[in-house]
Amino acid sequence: MNNLDAARLQMAFTLIFHIVFACIGMVMPFFMIIAHKKWLNTRNPVYLKLTKSWQKGVAIFFVTGAVSGTALSFELGLLWPEFMKHAGPIIGMPFSLEGAAFFVEAIALGFYLYGWDKISEKFHWFTGVIVGIAGVASGILVVSANGWMNAPSGFDYIDGKFLNIDPVKALLNPAWFTQALHMTLAAFTATGFAVAGVHAFQILKKRQIELHKKAFKIAITFGAIAAILQPISGDLSAKDIAKRQPVKLAAMEAHYETSTGVPLYIGGIVNTEKKEVSYKIEIPKALSFLAFGDFNAEVKGLNDFPDDVKPNVAIVHYAFQIMVGIGTLLLIIGILFFISLKKKTWWNDNKFWLLFTLLAPMGFVALEAGWIVTEVGRQPWIIHNIMKTKDAVTPMPGMVYSFYMYVVLYTILTVAVTWLMGRQIKSLNNSKIEA
Amino acid sequence: MLYVVLFFLMVSLLLYVILAGADFGAGIIELFSSKQNQEITKKTVYRVIGPVWEANHIWVIIMVVILWVGFPKFYNVLVVYLHIPLTLILLGITMRGVSFVFRHYDAFKDKSQIVYDWMFRVSSLLTPLFLGITFGATIYGEIIITDNYTSLSFYDLFIAPWLNVFCISVGLFFTALCAFLASTLLIGEAKSNERALFVKKARVSNVVVIILGFLVLSYGFINNISFVTDFIKNPYTIGLVTLSAILIFPLTNSIKKAKKIKSRFFAGIQVVLILLAALIVHYPNLLITSKTSLSIIATASSDKVISVLGMSLIIGGLVILPGLFHLFKSFKMIKVLER
Repeated sequence: MNNLDAARLQMAFTLIFHIVFACIGMVMPFFMIIAHKKWLNTRNPVYLKLTKSWQKGVAIFFVTGAVSGTALSFELGLLWPEFMKHAGPIIGMPFSLEGAAFFVEAIALGFYLYGWDKISEKFHWFTGVIVGIAGVASGILVVSANGWMNAPSGFDYIDGKFLNIDPVKALLNPAWFTQALHMTLAAFTATGFAVAGVHAFQILKKRQIELHKKAFKIAITFGAIAAILQPISGDLSAKDIAKRQPVKLAAMEAHYETSTGVPLYIGGIVNTEKKEVSYKIEIPKALSFLAFGDFNAEVKGLNDFPDDVKPNVAIVHYAFQIMVGIGTLLLIIGILFFISLKKKTWWNDNKFWLLFTLLAPMGFVALEAGWIVTEVGRQPWIIHNIMKTKDAVTPMPGMVYSFYMYVVLYTILTVAVTWLMGRQIKSLNNSKIEA
Repeated sequence: MLYVVLFFLMVSLLLYVILAGADFGAGIIELFSSKQNQEITKKTVYRVIGPVWEANHIWVIIMVVILWVGFPKFYNVLVVYLHIPLTLILLGITMRGVSFVFRHYDAFKDKSQIVYDWMFRVSSLLTPLFLGITFGATIYGEIIITDNYTSLSFYDLFIAPWLNVFCISVGLFFTALCAFLASTLLIGEAKSNERALFVKKARVSNVVVIILGFLVLSYGFINNISFVTDFIKNPYTIGLVTLSAILIFPLTNSIKKAKKIKSRFFAGIQVVLILLAALIVHYPNLLITSKTSLSIIATASSDKVISVLGMSLIIGGLVILPGLFHLFKSFKMIKVLER
């Protein structure tokens, strides 16, 4: 494995790991404060128990997200020093604001976790709200920095130099809004379905049913609403990419020949040698419409781009199919959930709980696939059309060992956190809820 | 505005060293306690740093962000040539953070606690050690800045600048300093019958700090390391070090009498004086390499970037500092100061 591949794999691996923990740490506080509010309003001890259980989950996920995030803030420089040398000053704004938001979140979380019975009830609850808001703000700001890599702006690139830097313009780059919206909804969908799935499994196993049903309802409501809204954001993203990164769009759809009235491919197997897709389902003229809002619009194909600016078409295409496929599935299930609120008998059927149990990891699979589309789809560029990834990598050889170290470390952490969560739930199920 | 940014950089560094240093030290104290005392320390540590440790460690992120935004070329040298110790610091920060949370939030308190405890203690020792080593490497003067990475060996470029007696001594010095800060902090938070334990730890670690500090300077002087030879010539440095030497007497005195506020105040002052003395020696040439030294000011970004960064820091500071102060106050860290 060469240094560049090792560095890219390490970055991919650490991001894939961090994203899961960051999303749960960002979204679960919302579930927690809803349960907390219900406890304050109803004084039903089940809600207090639920709040305190979720709080432990938040603490464990938050710290894992925070330390892996700290590692990432260093890794940007450690792995891509040339990138940070030039991009650092330009995208410093979202990162310094993110630092501030994260600080606020950590302070609020300190109050929340340790504030039970020590500070006033209302203020205590409010610090939980701050945790949630600051977490989402952090997420949006980091995604904005990523948006800049896709849509570099706020500087003039003259003779290989980055001049006239305008950090505010870089923060508000053309991609920030569509990406941040898509990611925030994705985080709520993925975490909502994951948490709901865990509780659905407990209901299926007939443990602490009252508590787990309440938990399920709160989590899935967030997840379902986000999943139903996601297509709107997906449409905005697709139109934005069609305009700014046509090669990424072509790779997502494995679209080789430039033509008008282009069909949308669903699934299929990409043959990069023959430049064709077999076993796909075609929806006539749909890609032209989705990308440009016109059934007969021309969509540029991969053949019209030079080889050295094309990403790995197969990976991007498959990842995109997985994301859209699961997204659609979760959208339908989200609607089914709202129907189930009218048809209460569904809630007595084991198949209902089995379905949600099986869906638990799906949101995260879609979310990771989406990031693979964004990141692999941008290759070979680290800054779109400005700097190539291979020119940004660290000159230090032997990155493969660093990659192995992170694989071992984060695998252990993943196992440990999963095991800890299992123990939390076990302890919760064994406990009695007292009024 | 450049000086506003530099001020924030320095304040973040000082706060990270004092606050996170005390956190690291807590784990070190636990490591070097007898079995029975370990339990006492563990409980006290949880009560004292539990609510605040996460916030304490964000100062390093602020530092990193200021460096890469405001002084990208300076940051570039650090991440390229000190890649290995920085990665080891990250490994330590990760292990320490998760083990601290795991051991308190694990639903069952069983044998797995032993694993968390040891992970927490060992990483609490190794993280400041590598932080100190990294700092040592910036002043040791063995970093070779080059564009031709194949002309020199991996060892010369990426290992020799930090893996040496001097840098390791600086690392040990910083580690001892962390232990000292933690024990001073814990004196004020311990129950009265347990206070003697931390008073003893504070006195021992104080002596270790002084001895190690002396060793670092002597070693540097004997081996003609320019940082050290200039350190003992610079009038500001001499002034600061003399002041810190004088202040050791009220410090040890207040520790002996287990005075909470005074010992914390004097311990904090010590760290500020030592760090300032180290930073002022070659200021603004904060990074000494094999051939030249690198001025932090010369690596500053354009005026526009610096002024936006400065404004963000001021606004961020106005939001964060009151909240942080309130957090410390609520959990009685500052309450003792008000008495």
